[in-house]
Amino acid sequence: MTLWFRQHRYALAAALVHLRRSPGGFLFNILVVAIALALPFAGLTLLDNVRPMSEQLSVDPEISVFLKQDTPREQAEALAVSLRQTVRQTVSDPQAKIVFTPREKALDQLKDKSGLADVLTTLGENPLPDSYVLKLDAFRNAQAGGDVDQLAEQIRALPGVDTVQVDSAWVKRLAALLNVLRLALLLLAATLGTVVVAVIFNTIRLQVMTQREEILVSKLIGATDSFIHRPFYYTGALLGLCAGGVALGAVSLALQPLNLAIAEFARLYASEFQLAPLPPLAMGGLLALSAGLGLIGALLSVQRHLSRLN
Amino acid sequence: MIEFHNVSKHYGADTTALRDISLTVAKGELVFLAGPSGAGKSTLLKMIAAMERPSAGQVIVNGQDIARIKPAAVPFLRRNLGLIFQQQRLLTDRSILANVMLPLLVTGASRAQAEQRARAALDKVGLLDRANAQPLALSGGEQQRVSIARAIVNRPQVILADEPTANLDRASADKVLDALKAFHSVGVTCLISSHDEQMLDAAARVIHLKQGQLEVAA
Repeated sequence: MTLWFRQHRYALAAALVHLRRSPGGFLFNILVVAIALALPFAGLTLLDNVRPMSEQLSVDPEISVFLKQDTPREQAEALAVSLRQTVRQTVSDPQAKIVFTPREKALDQLKDKSGLADVLTTLGENPLPDSYVLKLDAFRNAQAGGDVDQLAEQIRALPGVDTVQVDSAWVKRLAALLNVLRLALLLLAATLGTVVVAVIFNTIRLQVMTQREEILVSKLIGATDSFIHRPFYYTGALLGLCAGGVALGAVSLALQPLNLAIAEFARLYASEFQLAPLPPLAMGGLLALSAGLGLIGALLSVQRHLSRLN
Repeated sequence: MIEFHNVSKHYGADTTALRDISLTVAKGELVFLAGPSGAGKSTLLKMIAAMERPSAGQVIVNGQDIARIKPAAVPFLRRNLGLIFQQQRLLTDRSILANVMLPLLVTGASRAQAEQRARAALDKVGLLDRANAQPLALSGGEQQRVSIARAIVNRPQVILADEPTANLDRASADKVLDALKAFHSVGVTCLISSHDEQMLDAAARVIHLKQGQLEVAA
């Protein structure tokens, strides 16, 4: 164990010595790799901020039924029976939940959630109608779209119903858009990850060429392949790690001016949305991933170029 | 300790470096390899260090068959050999002390232990006071003595020296030879290839090679 630790310490020290000898080249490589990493890191930060918002929105099929303003309360409440019958006849969903929201409660909820309490108070009378929300369990399959539309049409024909709104459609569109973005980010990350591996592959190739004599002498005095390879692995991993750190730092710095603009924009919608940096655990994961990419680049380069010296 | 049994080495169809060589070097012997350039001296030494494999025949070093040795075992074979080259092959980006420490560090010795033994090795070749100098600041003879220190720092059983006194003046060559003899006197087996007639005159055993063939084994 001591020997293992000592040899790794030696390899790390050797890697640092070689990096210190050409700090300009090392910093330039860090910059190149960091630029390649910054783009997917920024995308990930954006998705990480948008994801909680999209998760809060229900993607279960919901139908909002708004009644006519002049519908008496008794008739409005009695409509629940008709709604349940229609649901049973159309989609036979015993799990369907039908929730009645009186117009007074709807107004209170709007005041609480929108932050427009002052504006709403000035209206004098409640502009909202009584409403029902139908939460349907039976539509969680691929054919749901058509069934929901058919049900909405039937409900629209019931007496006292003013408007019927299928609430899940835009949420589904948002979820689908986020999935597309996630996939695009994954492809971008894979492409730029390949770029990172290629850059580090080339950096290590140049180092092997520079240290050719040292490698040959080391072989002649009894150095094992692992002993010779290890400093290059550390160089690759260090390069990836430093570049990952720079990329994360750059993304975090970029969030500050971006947040100023977003705050201004969000204020117009009475919101306080801000882009937050990734949580420490995710940052740690990305740093480990960057170091891993560096290690892969070094491994491939060392396997290819040092085998030629044998 | 070292055995060659009908060893030949060919490079392609046209070039033969060694032809049907059979010889034995016992433990603790001091053997000189003589012969003109291209006689096969370097190839013979390289085979002992597993830098070359025989095309035919068998080379046995410390009981290991060089033709069959696995690549992973080669470094451990070389740790028992001290290699000295005509071009000293010192690493010019570090001090001579660091050069001499390297064979110990590759075996996993601690830095303190490596430094202590490297200083002792440099002392034996008379260069302790130049420990922190860079190789290029030394004369050719001094560089060769550093390479001897590097070769013996691991306390090898065998020293293989390929033309160690070539390009050196008489005084430097004598110092190098004295250093090698000193290690032989403590039981280290030495194989030295040389053109140097004065060196050969002082030898107990000289193996002459010509065009890859053994001429005389004295």
